[in-house]
Amino acid sequence: MYSQKVMEHFRNPRNVGEIPDADGIGKVGNPICVPPDTDVVVKGSAVPIRAINKSDTVLSHDGAFHRINKRFSRAYAGTILDIKNRLGNTALTPDHMVFGFKVPRGDKYRYTRGKKRLVGDLAWWHACELDKGDMVAYPVPNESSDVSEIETNVEKSEHDFKSIEIPPRIKVDGDFMRFAGYFLAEGNTRIERCKTYATLTFNTNEEDNVMDACRLVRNVFGVDAKIERREERKTVNIVIYNAHAARFLRKLFGGKDDERSVPEFMMFLPLDKQAELIRGLWHGDGYIDVNKPRASYSTVSKVLAQQIKMLLLRQGIIPSVYEEKTRVSKGVHHRKTYRVFVLETPSIRKLSSILDVGFNFKKNPRGKAWIENGMLFVPITGIESTEYGGFVSNLEVNVAHSYVTPSLTVHNCGDLMWIYIKVKDNRLEDVKFKTFGCGAAIATSSMVTEMAKGRTIEEALKISRQDVADALDGLPPIKMHCSNLASDGLKAAILDYMKKKGITPPEGIKIESETEEKCDV
Amino acid sequence: MSEKIVYMDYASSSRVDPRVVEAMLPYLRELYGNPSSQHSVGSKMKGALEEARAKVAALINAEKPSEVVLTSGATEGTNVALRGVALRNRDRGNHIIASKIEHISVLNTLKYLAKNGFEVTYLPVDRYGTVDVEALKSTITDKTTLVTVGYANNEVGTIQPIREMAEIAHSKKAYLHTDAVPAVGKIPVDVVKDGIDLMTISSWDMYGPYGIGGIYVKRGTRVEPLILGGGQEGGLRSGTENVAGAVGMGKAAELAMAEMAGDAERLSKIRDRIVERVLKEVPYSFLNGHPTRRLPHNANIRFSFVEGESLVLSLDMEGIMLSSGSACSSKTLEPSHVLIAMGIPHVEAQGSLLISLGRFNVPEDADRIADVLPRIIKGLRQMSPIAPEEVR
Repeated sequence: MYSQKVMEHFRNPRNVGEIPDADGIGKVGNPICVPPDTDVVVKGSAVPIRAINKSDTVLSHDGAFHRINKRFSRAYAGTILDIKNRLGNTALTPDHMVFGFKVPRGDKYRYTRGKKRLVGDLAWWHACELDKGDMVAYPVPNESSDVSEIETNVEKSEHDFKSIEIPPRIKVDGDFMRFAGYFLAEGNTRIERCKTYATLTFNTNEEDNVMDACRLVRNVFGVDAKIERREERKTVNIVIYNAHAARFLRKLFGGKDDERSVPEFMMFLPLDKQAELIRGLWHGDGYIDVNKPRASYSTVSKVLAQQIKMLLLRQGIIPSVYEEKTRVSKGVHHRKTYRVFVLETPSIRKLSSILDVGFNFKKNPRGKAWIENGMLFVPITGIESTEYGGFVSNLEVNVAHSYVTPSLTVHNCGDLMWIYIKVKDNRLEDVKFKTFGCGAAIATSSMVTEMAKGRTIEEALKISRQDVADALDGLPPIKMHCSNLASDGLKAAILDYMKKKGITPPEGIKIESETEEKCDV
Repeated sequence: MSEKIVYMDYASSSRVDPRVVEAMLPYLRELYGNPSSQHSVGSKMKGALEEARAKVAALINAEKPSEVVLTSGATEGTNVALRGVALRNRDRGNHIIASKIEHISVLNTLKYLAKNGFEVTYLPVDRYGTVDVEALKSTITDKTTLVTVGYANNEVGTIQPIREMAEIAHSKKAYLHTDAVPAVGKIPVDVVKDGIDLMTISSWDMYGPYGIGGIYVKRGTRVEPLILGGGQEGGLRSGTENVAGAVGMGKAAELAMAEMAGDAERLSKIRDRIVERVLKEVPYSFLNGHPTRRLPHNANIRFSFVEGESLVLSLDMEGIMLSSGSACSSKTLEPSHVLIAMGIPHVEAQGSLLISLGRFNVPEDADRIADVLPRIIKGLRQMSPIAPEEVR
């Protein structure tokens, strides 16, 4: 299939490797990225892609967490697609690949059953190939590890002589998890000298919860909580006047309302323990109406909303996440809130059994989303296209090569060909490459480094794809497009060098692969 | 290349067993005649043909030799089975069910049928490549006339729960066709026990000659012929029979029956040694397909951060012949549909290597490939910008 020259360069590639202090680096392949503020699901939480560390592990399409090898960033000017579904929205470049499947237009696929047949088409699609109504797949985290107890490990304050010691270890059981739920929803801590305590605030009509929470405080910390009723505000406060407990709770769950989060280890506990957590949370801040039926939970903590979404998913409950903007209504300032809804009848049935609420809703309307084989399938509800200028980022994820935003599963796919150049007196003194690809990709990379070495920048810029193919005695037609990126890589490296040096590139220099429209947007 | 060539690509094409060649030679040299003729020269050929047919029938435990219809090869067999059944049973329904990981000859025949008014549903597979039986239960309707699922996958080697699927198909009065090309002669296939109605068989896959194959058609199955003429092969496949080919295929079937168990044991040992060594010695290498329910001579290994065509070319330079699931080595520039259906991402599917062993492999072959692979993979990863530091 290949010419002898191609095989010769493949067998014996020249100039493989990196130039550590390169004057210019050209990377070609797929410039697929997301804007830097895009959240990425990491172990126990979600953080913006720009803040991702090498030590983070991210959730992938296989439902497991994987290490990150690299984070890329590059300047990008062009179209960005904003894909919306019930989990939220994610903006990405049009050729970024998304995990899901296409749904053919027509009546018979309007309902879930028809769509379910298409699950076998699950694949990576370019964002621009997707339309409203197509389904995206979202992994349900499948890692689980039980923790039987945790250390309280609170330092004793110098001036504190009267707080009763709390147990050094606390059992992580159903009671503790339900208390954690109550506290995340209704709790607060105050840590000041002589005023260190924790409170949980309930409404006066939540007497059952008040009693339950009091009992839990006793069981968990071995201290008695004080009940303070404030009829004028219609609230009941449960106050734990114990500095150790307050410090422990702040350490575990975070301080301010909008920083509240479920500790990482709890996100991996067995389902029965997490069910108790959901129970506490929902009894605290949640709402369920079994007649409509619908349920929701609202919080000002973005992280907590994402965590609740994951907790529900693990129970097989399909959540919807809705972001309510900051607003002022009737003179009252409302903070940005995140609402997690449960709308599908089977999901509400599951939730009501966790919450011990009777549910006998007869109708069983077909939902538009479902969970199957550890994947949630939800339809795309809208795609908006906007122009963007700025930095975009991407990750390189070990093993699974994918990561998850709050609403989509996206592929990582980096650059497939890197060319390094070293320039001296306007001549390319050294050229090296790295390539992931077939025989032709390796041979063209090797050839272009040979062709460029020793040439002036102007000469090197003129090397075209055809020149490279000709020098190799031709390439099979099918390889001309996909594997012949080397000259583009060289150009990109030279342009990178010129930009660093502040040299204006000559007019009419185009990177061939970038002028080709890969998708119609 | 001073060392002898190691061929591990028996799924692409096999080698004709010398004993088969011997059996065929008389029919290419001194014997001649048309099996349909009334005279003794012809009837001698008829006898040889029927004897060969009986051997093939015995291999798959068909009730009657006449249930085996000889064709020009497996692709023709599949075409007759799928199109013949679909057209003949149109009065009963127009729905066909297949799996996502069928052989290209099945997929393209179904594509043709879909264009001509048939509705085709493709069943998903799990990450091991096992077809979802539950999905079959939920998609089969009274309009379904045919269910077609490969007996074992030729790329990843996963053996399918055919018997269960046949039961489901029969409960709705649909026929079950299975493309058993990679399985027949390699593992015991019993059409009666498995409840198979139609089955595609190939000759070269069991070390027989090229240019001949067949279909098993259970007595009473309603099939329409595609090729019309003199009404040979029970009217299902007209055209003067390829007697030499049939004799070769018969001999191959006879040999397979006698040697299948021994071959399977020997080859699975070689296969297991390759898999064990490679997975241990090459970081980021994974076995595709089912760990246990798989063909004894097949292994499909995936290497992260490398591209399959480069791998195949590099192994070729070492005198080892293999295939890959890579897009770069396919005509369509799409990676293997089987691996994609199993949920393996594009980039990962690119780096897969298909090892298919055959009767002529020897135990030393395992070490030949296992010795060179770590070095080749390391070399390619050194070149690869997507490989993490620790594997370069």
